[in-house]
Amino acid sequence: MTDAIRLAGVGYRPGAGFAIDNLSLAVPEGAIYGFLGPNGSGKTTTIRLMLGLLRPATGQIAVLGESVPDRVAQALGRIGYVPERPHLYGFLTVAESLRFHAAFHPRWDQAWANQLLRGFGLALDRPLGRLSKGEMGKLLMLQALCQRPELLVLDEPTDGLDPVVRRELLSAVVDYVAEHRATVFISSHLVHELERLCDWVGVMDQGTLVTQLPMSQLKNGIKRLRMSGPVDRLDGAPFSVLSRDGRTPGSIWIVDRWDLGMAGWIADRGVRIDAIDDLDLEEGFVERLKARRAGRQ
Amino acid sequence: MTPKQPGLLLRWLEDVDARSPVPLYDQIASRLKAAVGGGVLADGDPLPSVRLLASELRINPATVVQAYRLLESDGFAEIRQGAGTFVRLPSSEQRQREREAQARRLMREALAEGARLGISAKEMRMAWDETIKERAR
Repeated sequence: MTDAIRLAGVGYRPGAGFAIDNLSLAVPEGAIYGFLGPNGSGKTTTIRLMLGLLRPATGQIAVLGESVPDRVAQALGRIGYVPERPHLYGFLTVAESLRFHAAFHPRWDQAWANQLLRGFGLALDRPLGRLSKGEMGKLLMLQALCQRPELLVLDEPTDGLDPVVRRELLSAVVDYVAEHRATVFISSHLVHELERLCDWVGVMDQGTLVTQLPMSQLKNGIKRLRMSGPVDRLDGAPFSVLSRDGRTPGSIWIVDRWDLGMAGWIADRGVRIDAIDDLDLEEGFVERLKARRAGRQ
Repeated sequence: MTPKQPGLLLRWLEDVDARSPVPLYDQIASRLKAAVGGGVLADGDPLPSVRLLASELRINPATVVQAYRLLESDGFAEIRQGAGTFVRLPSSEQRQREREAQARRLMREALAEGARLGISAKEMRMAWDETIKERAR
């Protein structure tokens, strides 16, 4: 399988205090890739590097098989991009903005645009400067989808929008993907929204990629263990320990890279496992970040 | 879409829970099996298209495909290439087995949820017995 997006050893330093450092990342073709991370972790900077809007100091970037930024022009026409902040001219009306956008995209799907305009309830004669935040979000998504891209890059597309609009936008994305088999790269800090949608997840923190895994592995690999007995005998465990809490009668550990056979390894050392709990994506995400910041990983 | 009760089926599926340890495709398949077992879906009824169900639920289309494959291998549906997926009514023994499996799944989910809150299986059983008694009154 080829990758729709590939970053290898990318470095970028916009100024003192923040840097993208040795960032490697791969988005398989056809994936819906969720790009998670707290605010300020470097998600938007990474996206701008991918789209050739910033030039990396080190490393290689390839998007849809084209080297970025050198050959980004060859790729951009095949990418639908919804930026974090609107970039459209406020004096254009919705109709004018659509005509303007469509002119750059030979595969523009006007029939679907009309359908989405009705579905989203967007008025054609309204100036963009007077659109609400939700309407602007819808227009940006409509434009990105109707150009029929091979790759959708969505930077916090639902941030600050109400739940009804968020649902409408995500439904439209899924509708498009189901029909056209596009790759989706979607950044968000709304973890629950991505949990049901994505099949790949990358987690950013402080300019580096903390983890990158298929969703099923990310969710199944991390567990909360409740144990009693001599837990100090568990040194050199085959799983990695994100945190340990021994205040309660038993010990509670959060572990990563867990698989079923490891319960036997623990039992062999005279420690009893009282429970193995699953963590949801958000809990797993928070635990991984905490562990990384504590320098345990 | 099912001809008779399109909205009902989607409402039934809307509350699938991505945070549950039970994979989404499994949750969708079990709900659809319950719909077949409970008579909401009849033999030969078309299931929603992958595109429609995925976009309505805002889930990965691959998840819907996985759910429909599971239904087919369990004898509850037939995937006809290019035409869609259709309900197949399983034998009454099979339906009974499915109801029992569904009951076990629900209990497992409740137990797991209890365990997250530190409630033991014994306490869960006591609560269960009491709840049944209350309902019988």
